[in-house]
Amino acid sequence: MFERLRRKPLESELTDEELHRSALAGRGEAIAALYKRHGGLVYRFTLRMSGNASIAEEITQEVFLALLTQIDQFDAARGSLSTWLCGIARRKLWKHLEHSKDALFDFDEHTAAELPCTNDGPAELLLRQEAVFAVRAGMDELPPLLREVVILCALEEMSYEQVARILAVPVGTVRSRLHRAKARLAGLLRTEMADTEGERR
Amino acid sequence: MTDKQLDEVLEELGREHRAIDAPDSLQRVLYAAAESRKSAIGKPRMQFPWAWAAVAFLLAVVMVAGAIWRSLQTHQPQTEQAHSLPAPKVSSGPLHSSPVTARQSVEPKAEPVREAVKARAPLRHSSPPDAPTSSSLDAFVPLPASEGLPTAAELSIVRIRLRGSDLQQYGLQTPADALAQTMLAEFAVGEDGLPRAIRIVR
Repeated sequence: MFERLRRKPLESELTDEELHRSALAGRGEAIAALYKRHGGLVYRFTLRMSGNASIAEEITQEVFLALLTQIDQFDAARGSLSTWLCGIARRKLWKHLEHSKDALFDFDEHTAAELPCTNDGPAELLLRQEAVFAVRAGMDELPPLLREVVILCALEEMSYEQVARILAVPVGTVRSRLHRAKARLAGLLRTEMADTEGERR
Repeated sequence: MTDKQLDEVLEELGREHRAIDAPDSLQRVLYAAAESRKSAIGKPRMQFPWAWAAVAFLLAVVMVAGAIWRSLQTHQPQTEQAHSLPAPKVSSGPLHSSPVTARQSVEPKAEPVREAVKARAPLRHSSPPDAPTSSSLDAFVPLPASEGLPTAAELSIVRIRLRGSDLQQYGLQTPADALAQTMLAEFAVGEDGLPRAIRIVR
C-alpha cells in the first residue's frame, strides 16, 4: 500500500488493459499513452488504405473514441489491443469506402519518409528508388482486399495470425491473399519496368 | 522482377511506412474526451484499500445499530391491540366480504335463546354500553321461525339493537325480566332475506 502511495507507475510501464481501465475512469494521460502506443499503426493503415490524410485522421480518432465508449467490446483474452483497434479501423474504413465509391488514392508523397542511405552507387540507388515508387503505385492499384493484406503483413510486419484476427478470416485466407497480391504486384512492376526501359532506349 | 527483389522493395517500403506517425493533434482531442468522462462518472473512485475498509466498517456499524434498534422495538410492550369482534362459530364454507356484512354458514347446533339471553344479563351491568365484550364469542342459535325453510347456501350477518320482547316474534321465549331490556343481537339472514339464526351480542 505504502509502495503504491510512494510511487505512481508511469504510463509507459502499464499494460494496455491497465491503461484502458484508467482511460475509462477518465484519465486523459492513459488514453494519450494508448494513442502514442497504437495510434501510429491505426493511422498508417487507414492512410495507406484510403490514401487521404484527413480521412485517416478522422477514422483514427473514431477508433480511439470507440475505446472509451465500447467498454465491453474489447476482450484482452481474445487478442491484443492493437489487433482490436485495427479491426475497428478496418470496419470503419470499409464503411467509408462503400459510401465513397470514387477511390481516394492521392496519397501525399510528402508524408512518406525519404529512403534510407545505403552503400549503393547512384545508379543502383536510382533503380531502387524507381522500384519503390513503382511498388507503392502498384499497391494503390490493388483491390482493397489484397491491399490491406500487403499493408498489414508486409509493411507492418504482422504475423498471419494477427492479420487473420483483424480481417476476421482464417489464416489460410490471409496467406492466399498475400500470395495473390504479390503476384499482381510483380506483374504490375514487370510491365512498369519494361515501359521505363523502353522509354530510356 | 523476382520474388526476392519484390520482398526487398516491400521491406524498404515498410521501413518508410512505419516511420509515419499519428498526428499529435488527435492526442489532445482524445485527452479531452477521456477527461470529460470524469464528470460523467462523477467523483473519482477511491484508490486506496484502507479507504474502502473504512467505508465498509462504517456500513457495518450502521447495520449493527439498525439491528439493535429493531430488536429493541420488538421487545417493547404492545400498548394496545385492536379489539375486533371474533368471528362467529361457523362451519367451513365460502367467505365473502362486503362493507356491512359477512356471509357465513351457520352452525346448526343450538341452545335455547333464553339461556343465551340469561347468560348475557350479568355482562350488561359490568360493561359500558358500546364497548365490545367477550360475550360476542358465542355461537348462533337457530330461530324456531326458520324451521322448514330451505337451507341457505350463504348467510349475511345483520346486527340490530332490539328489545327483549321483540324476540318473541321470531318464536323465541324471553324471560320476563328481559322483556324490557334493550340488547344488541346479530341475525344470520339467508339469501332469501329470512333470518335463520340469532346471536345475542350484549
